[in-house]
Order: sequence, then structure tokens, then C-alpha cells
Amino acid sequence: MADTGGQQLFDLWKKQVEDGTQQWLKMMGTPQAQTLDPQAFWRPFMDHCMAGWAKVMTQGTASPDLMGQWKQFLDQWIAAWSKVLEQAMGTEAFAKVIGTQLEGFLNAASPAKKAAEQHIEATLGGLGIPSRSQVTGIARQIVQLEEKLEGVEDRLEAVLKRLNDLAAALRQEPR
Amino acid sequence: MKDELFTMATEIPGLSPEARARWQHEMERTLLRMKHFAEMVMNPQEPVVGPTPRQEIYRKNKSRLYRYASTRTHRTPLLFVPNLGISRPYIFDLMAHGSFVEHMTQQGFDFYLVDWGVFGEEDNGLTVEDAVTKILPRLAQKALESSGASEMSVLGYCMGAPLSACFVATHPEFPAKNYINMAGPIDFAHVGLFGLWLDPRFFDVDKYVDTLGSVPPDMIKAGFKLLKPTMDLSAGLNLWWNLWNPEYVSGFNALNKWANEYVAFPGEFFRQWVREFYQENRLIRGELVMGGTKVNLARITCPVLAVGAREDNIAPPGCVKPLIEAVGSTDREYVEMPGGHISLIAGRGASVHCWPTVASWLAARS
Repeated sequence: MADTGGQQLFDLWKKQVEDGTQQWLKMMGTPQAQTLDPQAFWRPFMDHCMAGWAKVMTQGTASPDLMGQWKQFLDQWIAAWSKVLEQAMGTEAFAKVIGTQLEGFLNAASPAKKAAEQHIEATLGGLGIPSRSQVTGIARQIVQLEEKLEGVEDRLEAVLKRLNDLAAALRQEPR
Repeated sequence: MKDELFTMATEIPGLSPEARARWQHEMERTLLRMKHFAEMVMNPQEPVVGPTPRQEIYRKNKSRLYRYASTRTHRTPLLFVPNLGISRPYIFDLMAHGSFVEHMTQQGFDFYLVDWGVFGEEDNGLTVEDAVTKILPRLAQKALESSGASEMSVLGYCMGAPLSACFVATHPEFPAKNYINMAGPIDFAHVGLFGLWLDPRFFDVDKYVDTLGSVPPDMIKAGFKLLKPTMDLSAGLNLWWNLWNPEYVSGFNALNKWANEYVAFPGEFFRQWVREFYQENRLIRGELVMGGTKVNLARITCPVLAVGAREDNIAPPGCVKPLIEAVGSTDREYVEMPGGHISLIAGRGASVHCWPTVASWLAARS
């Protein structure tokens, strides 16, 4: 694990990332009239990240556990990004975007799926091969049959139990 | 090669003995990392999962009931109800010395696992109500008969918790001795990102089910990946860091197998699950009806334990804890553990925190 000096640098880095996140989220919250410039969009966050990382590099560290520190840095980096993404994904704007995307996909998929199914059904029918829906239908019937059997089994068990109870009662009765 | 690298390190001017030793240590690990990486790529081994011996007690359609026998030092067996769909239940018995099932059987609990199975297109008509009123009562009854016990503890994990809570609340004839909710959402007003994404303003569940018929595994995978987009990156980084350790690698392989094996939701199940639980939050409101009976959680009167995980983003503690206020039990307790939704029940952290807590709570009441 990193020494105290290394830890301080990571704390500094973390603070930089969090400040960057806040700025980034502030930007997300402000209405944008013109087209979004990706560079301008990411700059507040990236500038803070770069500044923090530059400071870590220039201040240096005497610890030979460079790999451990590097791993810790990456963990912090991923955690910071995770936090940023989680905050962004927890907005109604994001939910609306994925909802719209999904709806678009469903609108496109629905007729395509239907057409493909009809086509396959017709082709298989022509070849005398049972189609997917026919196989599914048979499987569904088997499931229903199993349920009916369970019902019969239950009733049979109930009848047997009653018969056993009756037999026990008869055995106890004086002749 | 190792020697060459080490010689290079010793030639670096001004390198302290401590730094030299660390360098050598790191080089050794890196070589092991490369060796294990090459093995993973060139000769991938199928991980062995589910090592604890078990017996199939009953099967109903795709669902199975398994018994993991123990020395049975506790009279009351345990019925474990996991999630339906999403993933396979072997995560609870992932590998030897890292298995919840193994831990509980070693503690003397006969363990009955409900494996809902992998549903096909023919099961798209299956609803939450069917699971609660047809499948679960039957499997629970078979477990009770098989055990010969007069009472049984019920443990619901993840979605299995609301399902089993509905079952216990609507089946007073079932002799539930104790009830445990482990990371199971009860109040869906606090269910986090999924709650927001499935909000009826943004997600049309009818259109989804009517178009696709069921929820394919890839869609489920996409949803869960989206919930934690950095998860793969983090897992990859941790793998690289621990790749020198063969135990870590075998654990990773087993977990990775499980994490990539998604299971489809039957369409009607998903429709009812999303609408009545996520969108309308009927369970905690007491408005949910199963098999013609209103699900009243206050009818759960046996001892209740709810376990939340602090970093759970699937069932955050805020949606797990409300069970405690809703049940009618006098003996009720909520505990919050470190970790996330999976690490609550699988892995080293679980063996230290969650498993002993659950086992000791049950032991005192079994």
C-alpha cells in the first residue's frame, strides 16, 4: 500500500476529480442553446483531472511501491468516473434518452420481427418442417398437461389421505 | 528472462536495496501474471461451479428444488428463494470454501434451494402471480415433506425476497418459522436507478413485452452493465493486479462465468414485475393482489431479519429496510452490511460479514 505521502497525493487527486465533477454536472444542468461542443463539454472535468495528475507527477514520490500507487491511482480514477456516470445516469434527462432510444429500437424491431417470423413460418411450412411457433405451442401444451397432472396428483393424495384416516378410524372403532 | 530483468534492475544507478527488492518482487509477479494470462487465453479451463453435493427433490416445469444435506444440528431447515430470471443460482454455491450453501450446511442447516430454471418462449405467459401462487407453494410444500420438519425458515434473496414475502404473507397454512430478506426490494420508491429508468414516463412496458415477447438475456445484460458501466474496467484492472495469484484467477473465472450467463424473463412476468412492483409500488402500499388475496405484509408474524448492503445499487438499503416496519412480527431486525448486491452473499467479504450474521440469527431461532 502507498505511504502517507502517496496517500496525500491521492487525496489531492480525488479532490480535484470531485471539483471537476461538480463543474461538469453544473454544465450539464445549464440549458444549452447552441450545439454541444464535445471539447467544451469535457474540458472542465479533464482540466481538473490533468491538473491534479500533473501535481502528483511533479511533486513526485520517494516510495518504491510505484506499481501499488499506480493501481491505487487507477482505482481512484475508476471510482471517480463511476461517481460521475452514476450522477449523470440518475437524471431524468438520461432516463428520457434511454427511453427514447429503446422506443426507437422497438418501433424498428416490431415490423421487422413480424415480417421475419411470417417469412420463416411460410418457408418452414412449405418444407413441411414444424415452425418455431408450432414447437412452442407443443411445449406450452406439455406445460399445461404437467399442471393438470399435478392437480390430479394432489387430488389423489387428498383421497388417499382421507382413506388412510378412515381406515385408522375404523381400526380404532370397537367391533 | 526473470534473471535478466533483475540484473537490469540492479544496474539502475542509485537504487536502494529496498527498491531493488521490491523491483524483483514486482518482476516475479509480472512474470506470473504473464504466465497465467497466457494460460487463460491459450488454454481456457471451464470453471467448476456448484461443488456442494445436492439432491433433486422435485421438478415443476423448468423449476427445480434441490436439497443440500447437513449434519442437521438445527431442527428447522432453510428454504432459499433467489431471483427468477436474470442469473443462475449457482452463485450461492460458486466454489468450495466460498459458498453460502456450504457455509449454511456446515452450520447444521438443511438447505433447500429453489432453482426457478431457464424459461423458454413457451413460458412467456408465466406471471409473478403464477410464481407466487403456483410454483413456490408447491416447491415449499415438497421441501417441507422432504425434510420431515414441522416448520421451515424462508430466505429470499434479491427478487426472491418480494416473491417469498408475498408467498409467506398469502399462505398462512405454510409453517414459516423465520423469514429473512437479503437485499430484496420491498419499497420500490427507493429502488435507485432501475426505478428511474423503468418509470412509466420513460419506459412503456406494454410496448416492450408486446414487441419482444420476453426479455432476452442480452437486454438484461445491457441493463445491468449500464447500471455500473465501470464494472468491467474495474474487474479487468483487479484481475491484472491479482493475476499472479492462482486462487484469485480461479475465483475470477468462476465469477466471470456466472456474471456472463444471463437468463431471460418470461414476458408476462416482466410486465407484472415492472408495472405492479416498480411503477406502482403496490407491495408496500398493500395494494398487491396474488391469487385473489391481497398481499398484506403485516400477516408475516414470524421473526424477521432484513439484510441490506451499503453499496447495493440494485436494491439499495432504503428499499430493503421498510420490510421491518411493514411486517407484523415482534421479533424483527434490520442489519446493514458492507459490500454490494453480489458481494453481500458471495465472496470473501460475505464469508466474514453476512454469512455468520445470518447463520447465528437463524441458529438462535431454529
